[in-house]
Amino acid sequence: MPRLPERKVGLIACSGEELPEGTVSREAALRVLELLRPGRTVTLCLPLFLAGEERERAFARFFPTIAIDGCEKRCAARATEMYSARPAVSLVVSELRERLGLDPPNRVRGPDTAREALALALADLLAGEVDRLLERPGAGSKAAEPVAAIIRSDGGAPGTGKEAEAVCSCASDIPVQKVDVDGRTVEVIALPLIFSQFLQEGRRPDEDATADALMEQVRIYNSIPVDGEYALRRALLSAYEAFCTGAAATGGA
Amino acid sequence: MASELLETTIDKFIFRVRQGCWYSPVGVWVQPEGSVARLGLSDFLQQRSGDIAFVNVRPIGTVIAVGDEFASLETMKVDLALDSPASGTITAVNQRLVGSPELVNQDPYGDGWLALVELRNWEGDRQALLDAAQYLEAIRAQALEEMGG
Amino acid sequence: MPEREVVIVPCSGIGKAFGSVGREAAYVVTEELRPGCTSTVCLSLLTLGDEETQRRVRQHPTITIDGCPTACARVNVEQAGGKPAATFRVFDVFRQHKELKVRRVSDIGEAGKAMARILAEEIADKVDELRKQGE
Repeated sequence: MPRLPERKVGLIACSGEELPEGTVSREAALRVLELLRPGRTVTLCLPLFLAGEERERAFARFFPTIAIDGCEKRCAARATEMYSARPAVSLVVSELRERLGLDPPNRVRGPDTAREALALALADLLAGEVDRLLERPGAGSKAAEPVAAIIRSDGGAPGTGKEAEAVCSCASDIPVQKVDVDGRTVEVIALPLIFSQFLQEGRRPDEDATADALMEQVRIYNSIPVDGEYALRRALLSAYEAFCTGAAATGGA
Repeated sequence: MASELLETTIDKFIFRVRQGCWYSPVGVWVQPEGSVARLGLSDFLQQRSGDIAFVNVRPIGTVIAVGDEFASLETMKVDLALDSPASGTITAVNQRLVGSPELVNQDPYGDGWLALVELRNWEGDRQALLDAAQYLEAIRAQALEEMGG
Repeated sequence: MPEREVVIVPCSGIGKAFGSVGREAAYVVTEELRPGCTSTVCLSLLTLGDEETQRRVRQHPTITIDGCPTACARVNVEQAGGKPAATFRVFDVFRQHKELKVRRVSDIGEAGKAMARILAEEIADKVDELRKQGE
């Protein structure tokens, strides 16, 4: 049985040294990683990322990321987009603080109740965003509605905003496959593994239930725009039919 | 060199296993070179251990049995005692690690080797070890369990 | 920043406890040991081309603090066209004080603070030396 990669969310915090908000970004990210969503999140080290560490950059190409920036200069968000792909979510601590009506932090280190309160609030928001990206609604954030200072990029495959890079780099074992969606070539992450799994489960390409299941699986690894669902569904089913035909011709999956 | 390495990726971590080596379950690799073998730390074990600050290998001439401690490492996270996967006599110790212990992290299958051992019972000792493919599966399962995947 | 001040650039790596110790050391220098004649800059601002940050690094001597041998602060400063006047690694302090074990990135504890202070004092000495050279 092919092993589909477990989906996680990458957190990339600016950790800016000049402002207390930079410390807040760092503290909040670590709180989510260690306490609120352990096992569901990974931190990406921004200095390593900037220095060219391929595994940090590769993760951000294939998995959703949340950039947490201290200030409006948005170093983490810009770096992620520049070297990998646009983060799925971008938060700026200074903007969020104003929206939440919290006191400004005073110190970059040491005891500071305002900074600690802001970090806790931000961590909670982050956990909610992690859940949303992993499609686990209601399991974390206390906020009933998304706070307006959160920027989400929900269109297309993860990382669109610029062209996603070529498939299956040597730094990742997550294969992708291109499918034709109404004349447009779209890369779908993890599709070869999904097809192999479906074939082994005996799912037939001529059944509606197969199409539903395909969409459900593909959604785990790819963002799907609402207005593109129907076209993608048809394209996936067609591609799966071709996969099954090819497997039958070669005598296996 | 890249073609001699098997790889697996868990989250952002890439773990490499060198083909042609044999592995203890803990992660010490053995590379036979005729009647001697080179010993070192697997990529998986060095990543888990953290940045290595000190390496202590038992001196040349030490006779070791399988399971005897042949080296110890210190990182900021752990103090690691390494049991030998092969029996024999230590004939060389990597002196570069005294001044540059980070070689174990940077090049675990190359410049970061730990010791050379004159083998005494390699055919027998090898039975308890994993080949590269087996070790890759073992570390993948362990990494997935530890990382909550 | 007054003339002949020294800019401290820690890596602040979030993946290892060393990064947190280096960050703490930078703050000990700028807030306690040599306030007024040292400051930090955000490494990412520098690398991403912020003009003001780059100007400060060009005009003043720079000290990088790296957590580990990967040396991201030094590498990033050099990639941004800077030339550190001195480089420090938390890793080297640990080599001299291996009894100071720091296990968590989010809380370096007393051992981490002790390590940061040792490093900060070394950096403070270097700051004095660099400032004297400029006189």
